[in-house]
Amino acid sequence: MEAAMLQALRDPAGVPSHPVIFLVLGVLTWALHIAAVQVMLGASALTLFGAFKQDAHWRRLAAAMLNTAKVAVSVAIVLGVAPLLFVQVIYDPFWYTSNVLSARWVIAFIVLLIGGYLALYAFYYRNPDMRAASTRGAWHLVLSIVLMLVVGWIMHVLSVQMLLPEQWMQWYAPAGHIDPSGQQLHAYHPARFAFFILLSGAVTGLWLLGYRRYLMGREDGHPAEDPTYIAWLKPLALNLALAGGVLALAAGAVWMLSLPEKMAWFATSAWMGAALVALLAAVSFPRLLGARLDTGLWGYAPFALGAVALIVVAAAREALRFITLLAAHGYDALDYKLNLDWYSTVLFFVTFAVLGGVVLGYLLTVAWKAGQTKGVYVPSPGLTRLGQVGVLLLVVWIVQYFAVGFYVWAR
Amino acid sequence: MDYVGLYPVWYEPGIGSGWIVGLIATVHVLFSHTAVGAALFFAYLAHTAYRRDQPELLDFIKRYGLFLLVFSYVLGSITGPGIWYSTTVASPRGISALIHSFVWKWATEWVFFVIEVVGVYMIIYLVGKVDRATHLRISVIFGLASYGTMLIIIGILSFMMWPGKPEWFTEGGYLNGFYGANTFAQLALRTAFMFTMTAVVGGIVAGAIKDTAFKREITRKLALLGMASAVIGGLLFQWYMATLPETAEVIAQNRLPEWFSLSLVVALSVIFAWFAATWLRPGLLTPALASAMTLVVLVFGLWPEETARESLRKPYVAGQYVYSNQVIARDVPGLGIRSEIPLLERQGFQHSQVFVPQRLKTVTAENAAEVGHSLALTTCSNCHSLSDTGMRPLAGYFGGNRDVAEIQVYLQGALVTGNTLYMPHIPLNDAEAFALASFIAGMNRTSPLHPEPRRVAVNATAATPVTQSQE
Ligand code: HEC
Ligand code: HEM
Repeated sequence: MEAAMLQALRDPAGVPSHPVIFLVLGVLTWALHIAAVQVMLGASALTLFGAFKQDAHWRRLAAAMLNTAKVAVSVAIVLGVAPLLFVQVIYDPFWYTSNVLSARWVIAFIVLLIGGYLALYAFYYRNPDMRAASTRGAWHLVLSIVLMLVVGWIMHVLSVQMLLPEQWMQWYAPAGHIDPSGQQLHAYHPARFAFFILLSGAVTGLWLLGYRRYLMGREDGHPAEDPTYIAWLKPLALNLALAGGVLALAAGAVWMLSLPEKMAWFATSAWMGAALVALLAAVSFPRLLGARLDTGLWGYAPFALGAVALIVVAAAREALRFITLLAAHGYDALDYKLNLDWYSTVLFFVTFAVLGGVVLGYLLTVAWKAGQTKGVYVPSPGLTRLGQVGVLLLVVWIVQYFAVGFYVWAR
Repeated sequence: MDYVGLYPVWYEPGIGSGWIVGLIATVHVLFSHTAVGAALFFAYLAHTAYRRDQPELLDFIKRYGLFLLVFSYVLGSITGPGIWYSTTVASPRGISALIHSFVWKWATEWVFFVIEVVGVYMIIYLVGKVDRATHLRISVIFGLASYGTMLIIIGILSFMMWPGKPEWFTEGGYLNGFYGANTFAQLALRTAFMFTMTAVVGGIVAGAIKDTAFKREITRKLALLGMASAVIGGLLFQWYMATLPETAEVIAQNRLPEWFSLSLVVALSVIFAWFAATWLRPGLLTPALASAMTLVVLVFGLWPEETARESLRKPYVAGQYVYSNQVIARDVPGLGIRSEIPLLERQGFQHSQVFVPQRLKTVTAENAAEVGHSLALTTCSNCHSLSDTGMRPLAGYFGGNRDVAEIQVYLQGALVTGNTLYMPHIPLNDAEAFALASFIAGMNRTSPLHPEPRRVAVNATAATPVTQSQE
């Protein structure tokens, strides 16, 4: 694929803001997406593990992780939409080609994801309280995990195919005969996939530390919580974080050693170094904290650092794509034609920062506090005011939609 | 050599990519409209429950909410990206055109999605765990955010049909593309039908309520909502049709299947009758019947509506400048977009495309049929299935004609000139027209649609459609 062809595939409408904005947002939101995916996979796996145990602590953990997994799928999906949007703004030639060449799998992605999600719910409806009753229908959960992994595999293939324009023609028209069926997955890199999936052990370990800290912090204090459970969680979380980290790094090493020639530079790049350091730091941090882990807000710090590490990993992943496409194929994602549109750009950022900040700040604080309260939770007047402001902002947003709309319409 | 940025083609011989997109879109409309409608209905119910101190209403919210969580959020949140993914593979440049003009609108919608996802879990899990005023506030936030997603997507859907203002072509600008009469007509129409769907689907839960007095109250509320919104929606439909561009009107008159308006009228009447019956006799409402009604809405209301929307915007797929077959059909100076037709006229399709194998670039006697297949994939398959099933099978329009020359004459008269209203201007050069005709003739030879070979009179100036072939 020559550079001129890739250029031609770009959308002639251009982009409404500087491309670097989409690049950065893509990295940030993808980091959040993969964090949610990893928590979901880890939580499902822990639920499955607990499903075959009789031990009370395991049952309790399984119950909690089942709820976590259910919510995490929703979150993973909604957070997946954002990078889905941004990747096709600046990498459209690659994203669309990769998708079309495996079109049946793209459609299968939807069906399998629905299947995986419903299987998770089916398991939940059979096991509404895993603490109280023994496990029923564990195969639903197994099915759900398998389907989610297949869904992730499809995502992985789409991401890898993007990077190989030199092979597209061969996939689309093997030996010069066009095959429009889109029925194959053409390129994959198992070590790369394994890296992202195994990393969920580490991320889930750090997540468990946060969960543990959350339980400790319930307002009614330690007596209500079972201290043996809290104590039991700690080594589990630490070991999970360590084991997941080691396994992921091993897979990552294989990935680096098996990079195709045009990407080989990445293995020794500063990007890769930064990602390695960030991951090592995130995995070892809770051990370094020692006893401090149980004081103040430190219990949440490991997951926060983990999230930062994931952003670094996401940035490195993006660098691999950006630089490879630039160096090997002459495609500069940042020189996309600009058709500046101020109104929609500003509206997004204001909606995101102000309306999103206030409303989500309110909702998440209420959810958090309500979870920490036994009995009925009544928010403080300050928090309630925040909620009222949130409602007001939503109303103002809707009014501006119509006001601007009628003005434009009538003009 | 300059290139036209056409992507590879995905072609699904069974039912065709167009119908796959249509199917996913239809179910998504059901899920998402129900979800938005229910969100607003919830806010109202929660309000009533707290004001009148009727905790059983909250109970209903909790039950419907749980059902809705699975029904609308699980399925709606996946089929939403699902439409996106399916149009990505069926019509990459169509979705690309929308994305590149409206990326920030989608990003803004995404903020509302995040609020919705958080909100729906809180509404359900926090019943009884927070004070009433807080729960009510969460319901209101959820309802407003849900409606926000609808407000945004409507503008994009309208643009797909027709950019809001004609100035968009010359000035560009997201506002000109987003807002117009069609935007508001469609918004009003969908808002009304969204409540109809909420009322229909709500019946599945309400039908299961044991307490007769309470069941009557809820059933009647839903019935009133359903009847009012169906009537209002029917009226708004007239307004909506009036805001369509002229081509769409012509197509609506000539090309929409006759059963289309009939189907809508029947669907609306059945729905109305259903609500009238349940209003009079709330005992009639059972989950099974309500589920059956949901299916009626899906099959006789939403599917025709989605396919009509697809037909009405022909030959374009987005913004009246991207053809369904992905070629950019006109200049849009506002965005610096150039029509690709002149380039195609100069170089031909095969030489201009990125994804054509070298051996199919130049037409020869040996490869003509295969080049024709490649051309059919690129230029026709988005609207015409190349097999005997799926959307508008191409073989069905040529009446089994196997005469390459005659078919070539038709192609050059009707398509190369751009003389057919609902089909794109397809500037095949002579060699390419011959190649495509060879492919079509070969297809007609093998198509079971035409067991008996039959010739069709296609005259040399066949700029008019071959209606003979459709008797
Ligand atoms: C934008 C979508 C679209 C594309 C692309 C398209 N068509 Fe059509 N075509 C239609 C529609 C819509 C009809 C009318 C169908 C009906 O009324 O049943 C039609 C009808 C026809 C007819 C019947 C004659 C007539 O006018 O009623 C023929 C023949 C035909 N198309 C051939 C082709 C060929 C060959 C190609 C590719 C070179 C092609 N079409 C590309 C949409 C399209
Ligand atoms: C729930 C199951 C899912 C899993 C397990 C999963 C997993 C993954 C993985 C492992 C990757 C990285 C692939 C790689 O780089 O090799 C990825 C990328 C991606 N995922 Fe997901 N994902 C899931 C659902 C979704 C959904 C529902 C969406 C969209 C709505 C989505 C959107 C994306 C996008 C757009 C990318 C690529 C981003 C890019 O290349 O910039 N994912 N996903």
